Amino acid sequence: MRKKNGSKWNKYLYAGAVMTGIALLLGVVGFFWTPCSTTAMSAGEKFSPPSLGHIFGTDNFGRDIFSRVMKGLGTTIAVSSLVVLFSGAVGILLGALTGYFGGIGDEIVMRITDAVNGFPSILLTLVIISLLGSGRQNVIISLGIVFAPSFVRIVRSEFIRLRDADYIRRARLMGAGSFRILFVHILPNIFSVFWISVMIGFNNAILAESGMSYLGIGVQPPDASLGNMLSDAQGYLQSAPWCALAPGLTIVWVVLGFSLFGEGIRRKAAEE
Amino acid sequence: MIRIEDLSVAFGEKEVVKHVSLELADGEILGVVGESGSGKSVTALTLMGLEAETARMTTGRILFDDVILRQGGSPRDKALYRSYQGERMSMVFQEPMTSLNPTQRAGRQVGEILRLHTKLSPGEIREKVLETFEAVGLKEVRKVYDSYPHQLSGGMRQRVMIAMAVILHPRLIVADEPTTALDVTIQAQIIQLLREINRRQKNAMLFITHDLNLARRFCHRVAVMKDGCVVEAGTAEEIFMHPKEEYTRMLIEAVPSRVKRRPAFGKAAEAVPGDLQERPSGNAQKNASERPSGNASEDVSKNPFGNLQENRAKNPPDRGIPIVQVRNLSVYYQDGVGRLFAPGGKFSRSRGQCAVANADFEIYPGESLGLVGESGCGKTSLSKAILGMNCCREGEIVHGSSMPQMIFQDPYSSLNPSKTIGWLLQEPLRCAGILDASKALSRADREAAAYDMLHRVGMGDEYFHRRPSQLSGGQRQRVSIGQALITKPGFLVADEPVSALDVTIQAQIMELMQRLQEEMHLAYLFISHDINVVYRMCDRIMVMKDGRIIEIGETEEIFSHPKEEYTKLLLGSS
Repeated sequence: MRKKNGSKWNKYLYAGAVMTGIALLLGVVGFFWTPCSTTAMSAGEKFSPPSLGHIFGTDNFGRDIFSRVMKGLGTTIAVSSLVVLFSGAVGILLGALTGYFGGIGDEIVMRITDAVNGFPSILLTLVIISLLGSGRQNVIISLGIVFAPSFVRIVRSEFIRLRDADYIRRARLMGAGSFRILFVHILPNIFSVFWISVMIGFNNAILAESGMSYLGIGVQPPDASLGNMLSDAQGYLQSAPWCALAPGLTIVWVVLGFSLFGEGIRRKAAEE
Repeated sequence: MIRIEDLSVAFGEKEVVKHVSLELADGEILGVVGESGSGKSVTALTLMGLEAETARMTTGRILFDDVILRQGGSPRDKALYRSYQGERMSMVFQEPMTSLNPTQRAGRQVGEILRLHTKLSPGEIREKVLETFEAVGLKEVRKVYDSYPHQLSGGMRQRVMIAMAVILHPRLIVADEPTTALDVTIQAQIIQLLREINRRQKNAMLFITHDLNLARRFCHRVAVMKDGCVVEAGTAEEIFMHPKEEYTRMLIEAVPSRVKRRPAFGKAAEAVPGDLQERPSGNAQKNASERPSGNASEDVSKNPFGNLQENRAKNPPDRGIPIVQVRNLSVYYQDGVGRLFAPGGKFSRSRGQCAVANADFEIYPGESLGLVGESGCGKTSLSKAILGMNCCREGEIVHGSSMPQMIFQDPYSSLNPSKTIGWLLQEPLRCAGILDASKALSRADREAAAYDMLHRVGMGDEYFHRRPSQLSGGQRQRVSIGQALITKPGFLVADEPVSALDVTIQAQIMELMQRLQEEMHLAYLFISHDINVVYRMCDRIMVMKDGRIIEIGETEEIFSHPKEEYTKLLLGSS
């Protein structure tokens, strides 16, 4: 039984790791360096289909799509990572404190998260963006705010589950301080659950960031991002489908890779 | 009537039941005993056709009245099974909490089986269910009928389960540890009930238990299982009086019984010859003398406590300064967790929720004080109060020890799964160092202390870097004990430390606790529902009921001359 299951989760984890690895590599490299300039236009090479020189072809300004995808992927991953980092940190801090101590602080924080959850997330980000103005850092801030409540809830429920565990009671008897119990005794035990929510959050952040760039309130042209490339390519879907396919499939690839990776981790954790 | 022939069940590649053959006649109670993982539950579930999806029956066949229910290699015939399940064979499960559907009223759940198997009208079904409820000894049957499972106590739930199992008068009842999750007094009642049903309905029972005393009292025949094999089978008399196999003998030996008193401290060497003279050696004779007619309640009165005087002598009245003094302690519930039908309705009154009332006792260094009572009697509240873990209390607790520690019942939840054993053993020292800089130790000292403690609790160096998930229950409990003792607290609260363990492991852990007590001059507050364990471990016993300490005294004294009626009941029922 174990053997069969073992090979199963390996498959998820392996496929996810490979897909995520490729995407991360391209993104991180693309963030600093791309084979061609992402902004240099070339009228002669407009809409050239995929070839050896431009493996994903060129767009309406003759820019190399592969380079732009790399660059866009890098931007998307950087933005999404920062969003998850921010909301995850907020989630751990608030979730740990509210879950472990409970009381009036818990009530207040929970009602705030309820309020945030009460709005459709995309609407809330639009509101925050319209207050702060568009741009990369404002996208990070607004998405961070919108994503934080789910992390708070997940971490909180885990801390509530573990605060009365026998080993935590014993830690209290040993005289361990609250800080030590929170972050040394409990925190490592919630990571398996936390990582899965990080994976899901990361996926959602990628989709949200792409969506916002697509709507034109995220990363501004001429900087490349997967979302604004999609929206640029929209007009040429018939004549030059590769312009839309390249960023679109890249988004699918990244999200699928992360989902598989998260599932692999979940199965591994479930087995333990 | 039932024949299991050469049954093997495998999970994937691993065989958990190997060539088991059992026979069961009408009206017979067959006990299947063995430690956890011996394959006894899997055997029963396979017989009932309720085994897990991943289990495969590889060889053998199961016959019910010469009808082949199932055969090794071929899949289970679901339609055939459905016609047998419930009507001709039924099952009582261990956990009364989870084996009833929490969203349905008890009466409805029991009636369900009649709706499926008979053509009775709703009115008749109701009548029949109420009748069966009465037959299984439930009181206020109408109220129970309309109750949800969470409104019933554990014993009542188990009675409902039994009602469900017997309502169609099946010819076979499989009971998988039906009393393990219950209090001792309730346990005795349930066993009595099952015995009555067996006598009245003449149905065969397959009774699975890890409790050998229970099997001895209750079963006609017994099969001992180990690692998926039946090592020995025979009548209960044969098995327990003249065990042929080494393993059976070991199991019987490991069971704490009232004849095997704990070795006297320090005087162990002198005490042994006396013991031998008194009761000729050999386990078979011991058991023979202990169990003259199979009636356990006689044990207490008949046991000649010949060494009473010696035991008194070893505990002179002047025991030094108590390590814990409890003066007039009352503990209250922090919030009104109203329990609707707590056994006896003791907490159902809406006034002040009092968990412990006016407790007054002391614990001396080097002694074990046993605390017995049923669940809900305030044992845990009292122990928590002594450890300072709950705040709503009145009265005085004077500690002679710093940092008393606690050992919990469940070895699987009392160690932090994300840490290594070495880290866990060092943690109390680290915490002590943080609290009081003068006690801070260097890393090397801490590690040395952890290794030393690992050896003391009987484990090798190689465990230092392992995690709790790689350890067995007994090993985890050893680590728990080590972790509790590493700061040399002098006083330890042990809350049912052995009741989640198999008998042989139980014996080892008790031995370890006694050895450590002697080595480190420890005081234990030993909480248990198992009277025999307490008898073996404790110098003095304290009996609690409804939050009050009703009796306290020397172990021998309590066992030979219990003053309170309730104590007699508690001692007799185990």
